[in-house]
Amino acid sequence: MMSTKDPVVFEVEWNACIKCGACVAVCPQEAGFTSSFDTIAVNKACDIACMFCQTVCPVNAITHQTLFSTEAAVF
Amino acid sequence: MPNSSSIGTMTVFDIVVIGSGPAGTTTARYAAEKGLSVLMVDKKQELGAPIQCSGAVSFNALDNAGVFPSPEFIQEAIYGFAIYNGQGQKKVIDYRKIKPGEYGSEAGAKPLGFVVDRRRFDRYLATQAERAGVTIWLKTEALGYRVLDDGSCEVALKKFNDTITVKAKVVVGADGVQSQVGKWAGIKTHIKLSELASCLQFVVDGVQTEGLLEIVTGHEWAPGGYAWVFPKGHGYAEIGLGVTRTMCTDNAQVYLDKFLKQSFFKERFKNCRILEIQGGGVPLAAPLKIQHADNLILVGDAARHVNSITGGGIHTALSSGKIAGNFLAALLLSGEPCTKENLKGYHNNWLNAMGNNMWKLYEVKRKIFDTADIAQRDEQLYATMSNYFSVDSEYKKI
Repeated sequence: MMSTKDPVVFEVEWNACIKCGACVAVCPQEAGFTSSFDTIAVNKACDIACMFCQTVCPVNAITHQTLFSTEAAVF
Repeated sequence: MPNSSSIGTMTVFDIVVIGSGPAGTTTARYAAEKGLSVLMVDKKQELGAPIQCSGAVSFNALDNAGVFPSPEFIQEAIYGFAIYNGQGQKKVIDYRKIKPGEYGSEAGAKPLGFVVDRRRFDRYLATQAERAGVTIWLKTEALGYRVLDDGSCEVALKKFNDTITVKAKVVVGADGVQSQVGKWAGIKTHIKLSELASCLQFVVDGVQTEGLLEIVTGHEWAPGGYAWVFPKGHGYAEIGLGVTRTMCTDNAQVYLDKFLKQSFFKERFKNCRILEIQGGGVPLAAPLKIQHADNLILVGDAARHVNSITGGGIHTALSSGKIAGNFLAALLLSGEPCTKENLKGYHNNWLNAMGNNMWKLYEVKRKIFDTADIAQRDEQLYATMSNYFSVDSEYKKI
């Protein structure tokens, strides 16, 4: 999936997360962009930056930081 | 009792089921009862947890799937519904009054349905599967599958710290709303943001209920969904809601707080004490058009077998699990390979038994939520919900 947006890195506030999996369910990435904790991955940059995961979270547990495209390579 | 066999060091099963919810356990049980060797894996350490479901299921749903309504998992019996519009006007559909003697708590009468404890319910279903001969591995994450030249496939698993590969004729993806198994085969399983209800519920003490599932419609309280009050047994209740995030300005938490404090139930909820917090994503989406690939099928939430009017998924999971288990048993025992072409029979069986009706429900739901005028939409949802649960509903079996 192509996107003109800058990649983002998500952060999950573990204390707020209720492990509902809604973020994973709406993620249009191919397999693998998930963590072992039934949430969206936080250890790598997301280059489509659709923000569906952050939007669908029932408890606002997901936030993100924007990277400039050139920085994504470090993840 | 069927057991796995070994070729060299590789363990071999007829079927590997990924996910131990109602769809996975039921598929596994029906297949094992017919004599197949079945491995069911789940990455979790506890069955049924974390709870992402209100637990409402009809008596018929259990009965059709051969699940005895055991006190082990029943929290409270249900006898009907109360559907509210946004202003608090209600339609009560109490089967104790509509069909006295048939439905009720007295001897000889039966409940219409139940609210179940999903931890105990899923464990009960897993026990049934295990007793039918299914091998269950928890703390076992499925990492991927690969189709082999001999017509079978291998599945990579991580069981505690060990990476294991098992060989199977077919993989069943019963891995829920977050399904990854379908993605392995290139099936697009992610759900549109506009079709995933974002749900949150509190288990509370101090709220009276009367054996009815109470459903509160109205854009003001739950845009693109509804709010609910369900009896939970022992004097507890569930208060929750699901919203479609593209139709609202805030998250589910904000709406639930508003429902508790500002709705026509605010006096009723005034002294409630929150005991537990649960949430989930519920696909109010069309069922997947493709639910199978070479050596692979999807069941339950993973295939979006969810009633898109009610958001209910236990009945549909049990039914599709039974269809899948029986179909796979017949196919494998016939000696035919599990090609995509042959597995289409599962999809066809599912369409005939329930899928076509689920598609109809989805169209009804879509028409309601596509209505731009909020007052009109609210009216339609209230009317549809009231009809849906009525005694002559054409969808009673879903």
